[in-house]
Amino acid sequence: MTDATPTAAPLPARTALAQRLKNPALLLVPAVVFLALIYVFPLIDLFRVSMSGPTWSTYFERVFSVPLYWESLLRTMQIAFTVACLCVLLGYPTALLIHRTRGLTQILIATAVILPYFIAILIRTYAWMVLLGRNGPINKLLQMLGLIDTPIGLLFNRGSVLLGMTAVLLPLMVLTIYASVSRLDQGLTRAALASGAGPLAVFWRVLLPLTLPGIGAGFLLVFVAGIGFFITPTLLGGPGDQMFAMHITQQADSITGEGFLQALAVVLLVITLIVVGIAGRIMGFEFIWGGGKMDAGARSRAAARKPAARARRRGPGMVIADLLGWPILRIMGRLPAGWGRWTVRGMGGFVVATLVIPIIVVMIISFSKASYLTFPPPDWSMRWYEKFFSDSNWMTAFWNSLAIACLSAVISVSLGATAAMGIVRSDIRYKSALMLLLVSPMIVPPVVLGLSLYSLFLNVGLTGTYLGLAAAHAIGGIPIVVVIVAASLQAVDRRLEQGAAVHGASPLTVFRTVTLPAIAPGLGAAIFFAFLHSFDELVLSLFLSSPRMKTLPLMLWADINYQLNPVLAVVSTLEVLLVVGGIILARPVLARGRAA
Amino acid sequence: MQIQARRAMRSESPDVQPVSTAPAQQAIGSSISVRSVVKKYGAFVAADRVSLEIEPGEFVTLLGPSGSGKTTLLNLLAGFQNIDGGDILVDGRPIQHVPTHRRGFGMVFQSYALFPNMTVAQNVGFPLRMARMDRAMTDRRVAETLEMMRLSEHAQKLPSQMSGGQQQRVAIARAIVMRPKVVLMDEPLSALDRRLRESIQIELRELHQTIGSTILFVTHDQSEALTMSDRIAVMDAGHIVQVDRPVEIYRRPQSRFVASFVGESNLIDAEVIQRKGKVLTLRTPGGHVFEAASRDGVHGKRATVLVRPERIRIHDQPTPHSMPATVISALFLGEVLRIEVRLDDGQTLLIRCSDTSEITLPQVGQKLQIGWGAADGWVLS
Repeated sequence: MTDATPTAAPLPARTALAQRLKNPALLLVPAVVFLALIYVFPLIDLFRVSMSGPTWSTYFERVFSVPLYWESLLRTMQIAFTVACLCVLLGYPTALLIHRTRGLTQILIATAVILPYFIAILIRTYAWMVLLGRNGPINKLLQMLGLIDTPIGLLFNRGSVLLGMTAVLLPLMVLTIYASVSRLDQGLTRAALASGAGPLAVFWRVLLPLTLPGIGAGFLLVFVAGIGFFITPTLLGGPGDQMFAMHITQQADSITGEGFLQALAVVLLVITLIVVGIAGRIMGFEFIWGGGKMDAGARSRAAARKPAARARRRGPGMVIADLLGWPILRIMGRLPAGWGRWTVRGMGGFVVATLVIPIIVVMIISFSKASYLTFPPPDWSMRWYEKFFSDSNWMTAFWNSLAIACLSAVISVSLGATAAMGIVRSDIRYKSALMLLLVSPMIVPPVVLGLSLYSLFLNVGLTGTYLGLAAAHAIGGIPIVVVIVAASLQAVDRRLEQGAAVHGASPLTVFRTVTLPAIAPGLGAAIFFAFLHSFDELVLSLFLSSPRMKTLPLMLWADINYQLNPVLAVVSTLEVLLVVGGIILARPVLARGRAA
Repeated sequence: MQIQARRAMRSESPDVQPVSTAPAQQAIGSSISVRSVVKKYGAFVAADRVSLEIEPGEFVTLLGPSGSGKTTLLNLLAGFQNIDGGDILVDGRPIQHVPTHRRGFGMVFQSYALFPNMTVAQNVGFPLRMARMDRAMTDRRVAETLEMMRLSEHAQKLPSQMSGGQQQRVAIARAIVMRPKVVLMDEPLSALDRRLRESIQIELRELHQTIGSTILFVTHDQSEALTMSDRIAVMDAGHIVQVDRPVEIYRRPQSRFVASFVGESNLIDAEVIQRKGKVLTLRTPGGHVFEAASRDGVHGKRATVLVRPERIRIHDQPTPHSMPATVISALFLGEVLRIEVRLDDGQTLLIRCSDTSEITLPQVGQKLQIGWGAADGWVLS
């Protein structure tokens, strides 16, 4: 039209600059700078300090020569591996169950899995302590049944560590596997059935191979999380169950000297990175955030290269699996037809019970009248709620947590959402590498992160400040925001935006009228989860807080270690209510995410 | 009749016109010149020095198989992508530095791209709102356009409550509500069923006459291109291989690609034995002699001849230019018969003839005499 006045030709330089300023890749700058300063740089410094001994390897030699650490490292791997196996075993049937049930049952099972996923690990571990305690419901039940006379010690042994960690990490496994199960084309199962495959053959030839990437991703995520686990083994384990991350915090308490401590952290970090690296080579680093490829250009190239390589890699594995697995399944096939279904239901039911019962028990106990933990409560009262709300220490901690979480959510969302926009909308190279950087805090053990920030915070004077803690929590908050917002952005129809632009909407108007409404639910969910992440954060706060600055998780942590009292149950109940409220608000997004 | 009515309506409301940036008369379209435009995606050249001149008010179709660069060209015109070389001029002015929203085009998308959160009226009014037209005028113009597209009773519906054909009409209404000088259409009919597609084709053609915009239409459907266009630009592998009127494209294609992409075709390789002006006499490898027309300046001893299936006739008796053939398949398609035959040198030919009372469907294996006149064969250069 007439207003289409071309001004560009005489002013190429200015236009070029304007064009460059419009490049969406620039949106990545704030988040990348932030992470570089507060995340990458401290980790590099961690490496530097760990190598600052007489020779670079002095401290590492000590880590691998002192049996205490060396054995602990092996034990950690062993526990993490066992937990990951248990999670696959229990998680797969549960994922199938969510996929196959319909209506209310499906919603209930899904809620039973999703709800614990968002509740703080500290609180879920506490629930298990209550459940397994001397006066806990399990001991009471066994006594009632006459199986035991006096309460037995269910806590503080390897079994309770494995149980606790499995329960804590199961939702992660179920959701990861479910993501790949739900993507399955229903027609495939029908096609297999129509081609004469029995239910077992359908499972073995179709279902399992197609969901294998999901299983692999879940296994690795749980394994990596397990290696760096700190809270659960500390609270549920005995002296013989020391995990590697625990050594780091203990050493931090009793200042053994610079260098060795960092070496411990570096070992933990390097092992984590190696596992993730191998996994990423095999199935692509997308498994970390469970999303699609960010690099549209790379996709075609990778797709052209990968199938052949994959087919070769799978070859021998498949042959062995066929030789061993298929005959076993055939033998199982002789069992009555209903067994398979009932196995899935039974295991799924068991999983749901393990996930939900601890939470319910804790909620009940919060209304107990007794001054110690016992179940069922001898009488009911609100006394612990009154205590919580009248105790100035708890209240201060609560307001501290609230303020830090709000601040942290603001930082995470403003940096994360712009970065997601930059990642999705720009066509820069190394997109996948950038995405990896943005989400990598998800896999770095929090203990390592905390230690790396410890000296930085001391030097800059951020220790025990709102801003410092909020910024530290935002390291973990940004990945959450980036993943959610990037997924929402990718779901936006580019044609709608083009349709608006071509009919006269300026870029800002396009964003306001088309893009923003489309990603609003995702943005809302991102805000909530970034808030929750900070609100629940314990490990970083342990390193970075000062005695005067208590957050709610820090208070809980101190109290759990000191005395198990029902005030903790009150806090837990309130947290559950917070998460339930959040999930109800975020439900549209979750539902859409699952449908996609 | 309908067109008449619409024109009358337009002239009865001259007060609408001043707010439009376009003048009121017919033929308000812009000229477009695409000059040696290059667009690369990495190593892949999506548009390779493409040039195209479009007259004001013309309806030009970009026709080609998928991946031939036609949508790329449209996107470059809309400004969704930047060109890597060359110029695009609208009314003689380069537009590559004019942002999409200032180009003032209308566009219809394959997926319609209607805003799901807006009613039909709001969707259609969107361009007017963006142009900050005042409320009363906007309402009036929207109502007028909806009326024109026979959508008035759906004004308050959401796109999701409408059928594909209706959504398509809303998308078109949104594209023309500003009376833009240029309307871009990206395979707008490909999601519709055949009957609906044909009726909207005719409607679009009439609409073009009414609004007078320059329309650039992208399709991979050759019959759609033939039906609607003033001119067709056939694209292949990032190049425009021929630009011409539909009749010329169909009857006198310049290359094997155009001949086989547009319509059904028999391509016969033959030896030139005599040249008499524009009429060539040729011989098939099997020794049969026939005649074909060519443009000037076709040289060489060998030539490829295009014979459209409907130009081949079946004879009862052998004639000087007929040749024997064996039926290998024969289908009755309603108004036409589709017969495939094999010549004795092994070449297969397709024949289409109208279903008339004197023709009976031949049996497979039956021997026929077939032939065509000098005007029915076309020598590809």
